[in-house]
Amino acid sequence: MPSMAIQLQRYLPERDSTPHWQAFNVEYDDSTSVLDALEQIKAEQDSSLSYRWSCRMAICGSCGVMVNGVPKLGCKTFLRDYPKGLQLAPLGNFPVEKDLIVDMSRFLEHLTAIKPYLIAEAAPQGQPHRQTPAQLARYKQFSNCINCGLCYAACPQFGLKPDFLGPAAIALAHRYNLDSRDSGKAERMAQLNSDNGVWGCTFVGYCSTVCPKGVDPAAAVNQGKIASTLDGVIQWFKPAKASRNKEQR
Amino acid sequence: MSRKPYQPPMPASWWLKHPAYRFYMLREATVLPLLFFVASLLYGLYALGQGESSWLQYLSWLQQPWVIALNSLALVASLFHAWTFFVLFPQVMPLRLGSRTLPAWLMVSAQWAGVLLVILALWWLLGGMNADA
Ligand code: SF4
Ligand code: FES
Repeated sequence: MPSMAIQLQRYLPERDSTPHWQAFNVEYDDSTSVLDALEQIKAEQDSSLSYRWSCRMAICGSCGVMVNGVPKLGCKTFLRDYPKGLQLAPLGNFPVEKDLIVDMSRFLEHLTAIKPYLIAEAAPQGQPHRQTPAQLARYKQFSNCINCGLCYAACPQFGLKPDFLGPAAIALAHRYNLDSRDSGKAERMAQLNSDNGVWGCTFVGYCSTVCPKGVDPAAAVNQGKIASTLDGVIQWFKPAKASRNKEQR
Repeated sequence: MSRKPYQPPMPASWWLKHPAYRFYMLREATVLPLLFFVASLLYGLYALGQGESSWLQYLSWLQQPWVIALNSLALVASLFHAWTFFVLFPQVMPLRLGSRTLPAWLMVSAQWAGVLLVILALWWLLGGMNADA
């Protein structure tokens, strides 16, 4: 089996004040993922190494790391594609707890803030909410998000201003706003209209490049700008309700 | 156990780190040569108001190589910016027909066709003026 040199960014909070690089060598074949390599290191070379994972099939969204500076899912990234070697670091723009583990609570707070669930009247008499394929198609792509946070690691605006709601949260808000069964749009617009909402985005677009699920959060955010503008125009003509957005400004 | 999270810094040079960021900065920087173009337009308007001699002075100012160079840069920059804008447009305003989305390439080509139409219309307008003179 061939082997590959891997540089790992280590951070041991009880000992270090800043992260440092440590070199490892791992054996690999065509099927070895970055996550497999980390498991190999932890099992055979350094049991103090910490990283997150769960499903190892690109669905739980917990194994995000920077691979040569690019946000990737460890379980969906293969050593065979990096013949020149690997540099693994924790996801960018998040505080690092230990080694490859970051504190994602900012992202999760933003996610909760936009009410990422159906806000709807119960369907009559316990019947299902009906939806046509065309209605489903409007939001389907945005519902594929696995909350991995790669887009936040790719977003310089989130790096510069952690209060920015960020790509995935806004994409999810947009997903529910587009859902024909949902009637919670008014509750979400206050968040989206604010400076930390859609207008915090300058369309760098890299979030959509790194998304492992083809969600295209940049499209959602910028469609959200149009929705936010329309919402503003509507507010303009409805002075009685205008106070709703003020506290967000 | 107490926590001691490490907050990675965000250096001013963050945009040098990845080609996607450099491309973004290049797109945003197209505003600089365009500012020059707008300034030279305003100068032209001002000169027009000041009478014939300052208008002629303005025309000779326009013909200096560095002014021509900067204005050509502005043209290239605006075409480049238009290209990035056109490519992003289908992402921002997808057009739906039933459950299908109009393909992006179609929307991008339609926008370039629009540019071509405007250029042709201008050409025709200006050509008409020349014929009168
Ligand atoms: S939008 Fe994509 S990159 Fe962002 S959290 Fe969701 S799946 Fe991950
Ligand atoms: S381990 Fe679940 S997405 Fe990688």
